[in-house]
Amino acid sequence: MSNLKPLPIVLAAAVALGVAATLLSLRGEPGFDAVRLGPWSSWPRLGNSEIDPYARAVSAVEGALPLGGAEGLAFIAQVDETGSPLDARCDYQISGAAPPARFWTLTAYDSAGRLRTNIAERYGLTSAALLRSADGAFSITAAREARPGNWLPLGEKSRFILVLRAYQANTSALASAFEGLTLPTITRGLCS
Amino acid sequence: MSSREILLRKKFPGRVFAFIPWLLGLVLGAVAVHLILILTLPALAPGSAYRQFARPLPLGEKRVLARAEPSMSRPSFSDPFAALALCRFDLKQGPLRLRASADGDRPLSVSVRLADGTVIYSAGDRQTPGGRFNIVIVTQAQADAQDAARERAEDDSGEAKPAEDELRLISPGKSGFAVVRSLALRESDYEKAAAQLDAVACSMEKTP
Repeated sequence: MSNLKPLPIVLAAAVALGVAATLLSLRGEPGFDAVRLGPWSSWPRLGNSEIDPYARAVSAVEGALPLGGAEGLAFIAQVDETGSPLDARCDYQISGAAPPARFWTLTAYDSAGRLRTNIAERYGLTSAALLRSADGAFSITAAREARPGNWLPLGEKSRFILVLRAYQANTSALASAFEGLTLPTITRGLCS
Repeated sequence: MSSREILLRKKFPGRVFAFIPWLLGLVLGAVAVHLILILTLPALAPGSAYRQFARPLPLGEKRVLARAEPSMSRPSFSDPFAALALCRFDLKQGPLRLRASADGDRPLSVSVRLADGTVIYSAGDRQTPGGRFNIVIVTQAQADAQDAARERAEDDSGEAKPAEDELRLISPGKSGFAVVRSLALRESDYEKAAAQLDAVACSMEKTP
């Protein structure tokens, strides 16, 4: 029996390590199959039956309702074009190519996935409501203070996440041909 | 070197080898605990979308979620331009029929999810005839029973075909929920997008 003395300690350590590994994995990205397009990342399998167990667990713990594959695709940005974390003390220009979708929205969140409180009480922009130049190009300014044109209010907390949702996307262009796809760029402007 | 040190050095390799099985057991135990947690969390996580919004919902009833705003933590990462309606299904109690219809201006989509969050079906209104959804969610056994009942009825009266726009979805799981998503084109359009959800109807079907 003296040979089994370490058993309770080993069992407790195994449980603690297993729980710690789980908590660590839940903090990571939702899934292994990320598609990276500049500062944007997406996990196309979140929205279909091929979702991996880790992505399913992250989604459940976060209480998220990811878009179904045919509903659209969400792209998340936590950094700008240079790889620097998004910071609401700075202005950002979001411009360039629109995703090949019927309709898209751009929204800012905090790290827990909540919309950001802001003075304008506006929490996002849509492709249908954007001001565009004659050639159809657009430019969005994400900033704390009001800006002329397409303004995405950021609220006070410094760290934020941008989510671009391409609804009823052209699946051949989005789901299987990411290499040729370009998304809007996120360029940092002046910081306060 | 003292005789005690010599004795300890002789015993040292043996102690290390004796520790190896425990170390392996520790690693295997940790991996097992981790895998069990990852596989069970989707069904057990109290904050999951199913547990928060669908599970309390009576079968055959529709729930329209409040518009996303900063004070709301669930569902996380909600789109403030999306109005959502949910219906729960429990196929042990019978199939669920879901009907929804798009107004043609605002995008509308439907997704069907298992209780663990796995999306088993999704489609946008441009993928369905006239932007209408008429989905019946069944198990394989219920589908077989429906087919047999229809064949019998066809033999009897000659008219037992399902509606042309009916989509029969065979679910790999017994319980889950359907989500209807209606999109506001702009800030002032949300009420109209939410009004699209008025036409969403969920009803329990009888098992043949």
